[in-house]
Amino acid sequence: MYQLNDQQIDLILTDLHQRGIETESMRMNLLDHICILIENHLEEDGDFVKFYSTTIRSFYKEELRELEDEARLLMALDKGRLLLSRNQFFLLLFTLLIGPFITYDLVWMVQVSPGWFIPAEIWVSTIVFALYPLLVLLVLYLTPDRFDPLIPHKAKILLGGRSLIRVLAVDTVR
Amino acid sequence: MYIRNTNSFTMTYSPELLKGTLKTIVMKLLADNKKMYGYEITQKVKELTRDKIQITEGALYPTLHALEADGLVTTEVEYIGKRVRKYYSLSPAGKAATREKLKEMTNFMDTMIALLEIKPKMA
Repeated sequence: MYQLNDQQIDLILTDLHQRGIETESMRMNLLDHICILIENHLEEDGDFVKFYSTTIRSFYKEELRELEDEARLLMALDKGRLLLSRNQFFLLLFTLLIGPFITYDLVWMVQVSPGWFIPAEIWVSTIVFALYPLLVLLVLYLTPDRFDPLIPHKAKILLGGRSLIRVLAVDTVR
Repeated sequence: MYIRNTNSFTMTYSPELLKGTLKTIVMKLLADNKKMYGYEITQKVKELTRDKIQITEGALYPTLHALEADGLVTTEVEYIGKRVRKYYSLSPAGKAATREKLKEMTNFMDTMIALLEIKPKMA
């Protein structure tokens, strides 16, 4: 049976933190689990670093912080926070960014100048102010891979709670 | 990721089939064993299912944290040198929720048996 020393325990704790495990409780749980696995399965003269690397790799699919994301997701589902898919989130962004301009034009058409006539300056300002967000959204839509590090393909976006927008890099259909 | 299926010597279940059962499994184990820690839960599931189901760490700890946040489990810690072992046990709300979950699961299994016309094994 392998005996872990304090230095090795500190090393595991630091590594868990660096891998994105922010919650202390989750870190403590994982530390204990890893320590038990090492003590039970590693030979007395075994290679600690190699065994630890292999063990920690078996805990996740892509990165360790998936565990925290999964916990947040489960908690959010129970608390009724808004959980959006990538496409739903982009649609929401589109509505928020472009919507006001379209609404402004519609209000103009209905109230200020009934009919389809809208003065050129209104069209121009609509195009100018809406152009940038529209281009951003077009790029997001047409080149989704470019934004993978930011919002991965199978990510979910959680709205509400302490951080207003949080990208959860988890695949809920696993 | 939810539940790790085991080696080729045992029958395995698809993750889709097992998805959604983890909370019930953990709560039932806690109901039967008073208090347990993470590693102990994974080992108990392995033992009870004769290695057919292995709960992964990536599924277990998020579930335990969610149960704690919902007030369904309470925790106590034990210090082992520099590390901390967290024991989980069901709260009164958790005990009631477990009964509900088991009722729901039993009902679901009965429905599936009827739906798929599975004949129960004769003893």
